[in-house]
Amino acid sequence: MNLKDCHNFSDFRKLAKKKLPSPIFHYIDGAADDEITYARNTSAFDDVDLVPNVLRGVEEVDLSTTIFGKKLDLPFYLSPTALQRLFHYDGERAVGKAAKKFNTMFGVSALATVSVEEISSMVDTPKMFQFYFHKDRGLNDSCLERAKAAKFDVMALTVDTITGGNRERDLRTGFTSPPKLTLASLFSFATKPMWGINYLTKGKFELPHLQDFVKEGTDVNSSIGNYFSTMLDQSMNWKDAENLCSKWGGHFALKGVMSVEDAKRAVDIGCTGIMVSNHGGRQLDGSRAPFDQLAEIVDAVGDKLDVICEGGIHRGTHMLKALSLGAKACSGGRLYLYALAAAGQAGVERALEKYRTELERDMKLMGCTKISDLSRNNLRFRR
Amino acid sequence: MSLKNCYNFKDFRNLAKKKLPSPIFHYIDGGSDDEATLRRNTESFNECDLVPNVLANVGKPDLTTTLFGRKIDMPIFLSPAAMQRLYHVDGDKASARAAEKFGTFYSMSSMSNNSIEEISNISSGPKLFQLYVHKDKSITDDLIDRSRRSGFDAMCLTVDTLVAGNREKDHRTGFTTPPKLTLKSVMSFAMRPGWVFNYLTGKKFELSNVKKKTDKGTNIAKSVIEYINEQYDPLMGWKDAEYCAKKWNGPFALKGVMSVEDAKKAIDIGCTAIMISNHGGRQLDGSRSPFDQVKAISDAVGDKLEIILDGGVRRGTHVLKALASGAKACSFGKMFLFSLAAGGQQGVEHLLKNMHDEIYRNMVLMGCKSLKELNSSKLIYRK
Ligand SMILES: Cc1cc2nc3c(=O)[nH]c(=O)nc-3n(C[C@H](O)[C@H](O)[C@H](O)COP(=O)(O)O)c2cc1C
Ligand SMILES: Cc1cc2nc3c(=O)[nH]c(=O)nc-3n(C[C@H](O)[C@H](O)[C@H](O)COP(=O)(O)O)c2cc1C
Repeated sequence: MNLKDCHNFSDFRKLAKKKLPSPIFHYIDGAADDEITYARNTSAFDDVDLVPNVLRGVEEVDLSTTIFGKKLDLPFYLSPTALQRLFHYDGERAVGKAAKKFNTMFGVSALATVSVEEISSMVDTPKMFQFYFHKDRGLNDSCLERAKAAKFDVMALTVDTITGGNRERDLRTGFTSPPKLTLASLFSFATKPMWGINYLTKGKFELPHLQDFVKEGTDVNSSIGNYFSTMLDQSMNWKDAENLCSKWGGHFALKGVMSVEDAKRAVDIGCTGIMVSNHGGRQLDGSRAPFDQLAEIVDAVGDKLDVICEGGIHRGTHMLKALSLGAKACSGGRLYLYALAAAGQAGVERALEKYRTELERDMKLMGCTKISDLSRNNLRFRR
Repeated sequence: MSLKNCYNFKDFRNLAKKKLPSPIFHYIDGGSDDEATLRRNTESFNECDLVPNVLANVGKPDLTTTLFGRKIDMPIFLSPAAMQRLYHVDGDKASARAAEKFGTFYSMSSMSNNSIEEISNISSGPKLFQLYVHKDKSITDDLIDRSRRSGFDAMCLTVDTLVAGNREKDHRTGFTTPPKLTLKSVMSFAMRPGWVFNYLTGKKFELSNVKKKTDKGTNIAKSVIEYINEQYDPLMGWKDAEYCAKKWNGPFALKGVMSVEDAKKAIDIGCTAIMISNHGGRQLDGSRSPFDQVKAISDAVGDKLEIILDGGVRRGTHVLKALASGAKACSFGKMFLFSLAAGGQQGVEHLLKNMHDEIYRNMVLMGCKSLKELNSSKLIYRK
């Protein structure tokens, strides 16, 4: 199996599984507890059906949408994810370049392995910086200043991760960052020699946004869950978010809002967007799926800020359903991460191309030529 | 596989399966008939989703609550379960000590292998005695008197076990107590020499609380099914329950109430609590699961009785969902019995630590500072 055999989400996932040492694959692939929310994030889309309109003249399809004041050529973008150079030695560089080519937005995690400065020198299309609220206020200020100086367009504050989720696959594989070679994981690393060679020869593994402030990122073998639980500030509150928002002074989003009440408060503190998200099922298992919760939130605040449906998306039709319900755009992590692991920039580009053609085809089959043609009239919920 | 690799219910179950002779494992693991209710007890938690609140300034959530007039450190406790000496040589002593260490209730079954006096000597933690109404009324009176003298905090009367459920796994494995070595089971016992050694060299197996009154369950190799059918009074009615509640004259629960109507009657006869339970799917197959029923009962009587959800609980999030639906606390049987089989007192402590950490983490992720904040606004049922 190689890249040209990858036609959909599960193909990319299979190829990534072949290429990655198993602790790293399972770090991407896994979620919290029994992974029930993780599964529901995707299966929620199956409880509703699309109803097409025919004979509409659909030669030209325009997939563009505008979020955070930026026009994107695609109605979806790439969620910020940590540690991308563990997945492929080019990491964020590969993802950023691919996003640029398709003129969509690219999210850079606070736990990125390439610096905001380098990314901004490479990628001039819309960029989002994802912020974790650390106990160390010096670190917080530094992240904000650097992202601002690097001309990032949007700041997203992640609010669903004040403590690490219970990712049992990581407990079993002993996943740490950087990877610690335990006897149990050694075998898996040894059977994926290319990954090991690239990891060791293509530049030192770093967390450039944190390394001046914390040792966890660089020399210590800290597990990710442990990092969240010890480094992030669990007393983070609405005042903190509001202060951050005004300090940033630009487009600002909360990532991980699930309740209508919180969505309204996001408007009050000056957010221009929210990601309806449960962190890809990686935090609170048993929590509601973004798609299940989307309509309520759109109804309450959809006219006041950009509502983004994030997580569980494997198909163009999933995006059409979310957009029909009123999301301004969709986003996802695993939808490009497996492709990154499978083949770097070429992999991400192939994934984006697949989703783009899928969307175009599905729009035509729906009888729609632009995203604003989609509405709840296109949907029927099974009861 | 060892105790330190046990992260969840399945892990404890697997380890218990390795350690126990198969008839004994299946006695714990099995339900009645087709086990539809057994499965539903856990699955029912997956049809609703938690909706967290973000930026809630949670800090350190408080997991304490009061139950049966005692303050406990977390809203979970150990259900009464018969014959724990079969699962680990330390039997009820191990469970009672572990529960005390975690500041919560241990429950003693009428069919315990340790006596009421023995356990009260080793544990000053919160203790619940589980009563069956025997055909010989003097047995029932004796149990109540001794529980009071020994300082038990509360009593529950099991009302769902007038006859034994049809546990087909026990028919197949030939489960009897004490275990009778049939040709079919002898292989399984032979392959677990550690269990057999401990069983034969530990204290003699007996039903300590009833041994003076009946020779059943001690001298003869009786199946549990036959024991229940011979000893327990199928004519038990509300009058008998009222008699027990009055005679006990302290915190008193009916265990196995499922209908709203019966919950109301429980108030009238002087109960302070009810345990919504179908005996872990071991009695009437096809009956409703506790979680499916808890909302209706708590809406009707939640302000007059303490409601305990018993059955199907496997995760911290299950507990959160039960509390959001109106339960005061949850109890579980199989989960702690497997941990007992897996590692005695240490095993039960390991489980209680896991559950404590899960509830704590999930409270943080929900944005809840105290258990009181868990209410129906935090839960949405899928259509
Ligand atoms: C491997 C991995 C790493 C992630 N790292 C971060 C992160 O550093 N910050 C963050 O806010 N979200 C992070 N996320 C969550 C994603 O931004 C996004 O919410 C999630 O992937 C959406 O679900 P999906 O993977 O089903 O599309 C990560 C997700 C994955 C799979
Ligand atoms: C092996 C075993 C023995 C039990 N013995 C008793 C008992 O003696 N008295 C009683 O009231 N309930 C007994 N139960 C039922 C439990 O108290 C409890 O209702 C049930 O286990 C809850 O379901 P769960 O196992 O899914 O947590 C027993 C359950 C098991 C699994």
